[in-house]
Amino acid sequence: MKMKKKNKAKAVIQSIATDLLFWIYIFGCLYYLMHKWTGFTAKLHLIGIAALLATLIFQLVRGSIGVKIFLSYAKVKRSFYKSAWGYLTIIALLITFVVGVNIVEVDFYKFFTKFQNAGGIASGIFNPSITGYSLSATSINELEKENLPPDVLSTLEGIQNRKYSTKKVFLEYLQKRLGESTLQKYRSTILKSAEKNTELLNIALSALAETIFLALLATVFAIPFAFVLSFFAARNLMPRTWLGNIVYLLVRTVATIFRSIEAIVWAIIFSVWVGIGPFAGMLALMIHSIAALTKLYSEQIENIDSGPVEAIKATGASTLQTWIYAVIPQIISPYLAFTIYRWDINVRMATIVGFVGGGGIGLLILQQQQLLRWHNVGLLIWLIAFVVWVMDMTSARVREKLGGM
Amino acid sequence: MKNIIKLTEVHKIYESGTHALKGVNLEVQEGEFLILLGLSGSGKSTLLRCMNRLIEPTSGEIEIDDENVITAKGKRLRKIRRHIGMIFQQFNLIKNMSALTNVLSGKLGYVSLWHAITFSIHKTDIALAMSNLQRVGLEQFAKNKARNLSGGQQQRVAIARALMQNPRVIFADEPVASLDPATADSVMKYLGELNKNDNITILCSLHFLSLARKYGTRVVALKDGNIVFDGTPNEIDEKKFKDIYGEDAEEVEIR
Repeated sequence: MKMKKKNKAKAVIQSIATDLLFWIYIFGCLYYLMHKWTGFTAKLHLIGIAALLATLIFQLVRGSIGVKIFLSYAKVKRSFYKSAWGYLTIIALLITFVVGVNIVEVDFYKFFTKFQNAGGIASGIFNPSITGYSLSATSINELEKENLPPDVLSTLEGIQNRKYSTKKVFLEYLQKRLGESTLQKYRSTILKSAEKNTELLNIALSALAETIFLALLATVFAIPFAFVLSFFAARNLMPRTWLGNIVYLLVRTVATIFRSIEAIVWAIIFSVWVGIGPFAGMLALMIHSIAALTKLYSEQIENIDSGPVEAIKATGASTLQTWIYAVIPQIISPYLAFTIYRWDINVRMATIVGFVGGGGIGLLILQQQQLLRWHNVGLLIWLIAFVVWVMDMTSARVREKLGGM
Repeated sequence: MKNIIKLTEVHKIYESGTHALKGVNLEVQEGEFLILLGLSGSGKSTLLRCMNRLIEPTSGEIEIDDENVITAKGKRLRKIRRHIGMIFQQFNLIKNMSALTNVLSGKLGYVSLWHAITFSIHKTDIALAMSNLQRVGLEQFAKNKARNLSGGQQQRVAIARALMQNPRVIFADEPVASLDPATADSVMKYLGELNKNDNITILCSLHFLSLARKYGTRVVALKDGNIVFDGTPNEIDEKKFKDIYGEDAEEVEIR
């Protein structure tokens, strides 16, 4: 009887607390909207007072959300105000939506009318810079032998050694400087002596290799750590003694914390620690992969068939022998599948990590984007898309063969 | 004949509160083929697993081959376990390993950790494993993965694994419950052979009275964690059978 009373008191407190939080939220949202639209200001503690009042009223008529959740057994006759919790929920959802749209600054007008702002990057994507154009000293020498008017020649000399991402960009620039008719007249002569180069493509490919290898190393270095840790993070392997529980909880908690910190944050930390470059990116992805693989691996261990474990234990094998003979054979192929999947994810993440100092193709994109060289950015985007597509396909194929996931 | 197993007042209460064994007293003599009967949930599996401490008994005394099982820890417990072969309803083989490796794993209680880690296996052990596979008629399947064998074959590999331990006792927990009747009989025949030729004491839980009569030398029946019958297979008549399995039970003959 006493127990029941205690439970009821607890439920009443929970119910009131829920209501109070609910009303603080509602009045807070309403205040935000009023402030934004009309510039209305009020003392903030008024929100608290209003919330307290509303809580009191709705607790008294027993129609609030808190009453519904925690005191639902207190059913009295059904009156319209007793089901107020339903209307309150709908109103709360509507207010949340309106506030959300305001905070996120949703603006569909901009979305549909300002596309031309992204024109640079769009043209970059449709016309990526595979070969760059420039006029070197030899080109100028060649052009001097042609019969070009002196003003055209001096313009061309003015842009000696300047690099243009694509033929189109080069010609557009010349057209601006020389005028359309002049350009049409000497177009073929200029193009003949202009030098093509694949400088950017070379840089991009080596950056791409950097990205793939840093993702690979991050995965490979993560495997032994995750492999060992996963055994300690598997509920069915850890004995239910106080030591077993502590180790299990510790490994689980640390893995969860490390996993919830995004790789990009790790990259920022490590780019300060070891300097900007692929090594920082590798460390960031490695830490994140260890945490993620530990979780995936240990779940795989928790899913194994306990029969063979029992059988091997019954032969008199030690704990470690049992793990080697009964657990590992069951997990080896799902482990491989997960690891390949992780490499796949790491290649994708390596690009992002590059943006904050993790090296590789991400860093190159950042540089080119800041120079507004959209055609170069276009090439890089295509390269990344291609690699991710290939990785995705092969990893899916291999995983299918391994029978995991 | 000496007692090889002696249980005194063995209780098992699970964490959930289920009282699975309520003071079991049992003495088994060397060379017996003892059949455990009883409904599912009557405590047969719990009893077998308490005897090699796969499940920790709550209280009581257990002696096997003059060794105190209850107080054994670490190395001593492993030493006791390695002389007890165990056979399971679901065979419990390592599915993606070969039959030969599965048989060899029966030797784990004897080898050092280093040998287990490096998978270095003595030639004589391989020869022994092959001869054990031969005894159960599976020498030509030595290299086959366990998952590719039929149920009956898998159970025979499990018997070979138990043999590898050089056991004094074999516990078989419903070894034929997931096999068809013909295969079930052949598996029981192998167990019977081990009992007669190698003088291995066998404790086997079953549901079929016909098999119990054919192979058992003694029947012990459990009901709700108590022993309700202890005698020869032929002593079980209609009335005793209904005592064990409940009023509605009909004996099903399977040949």
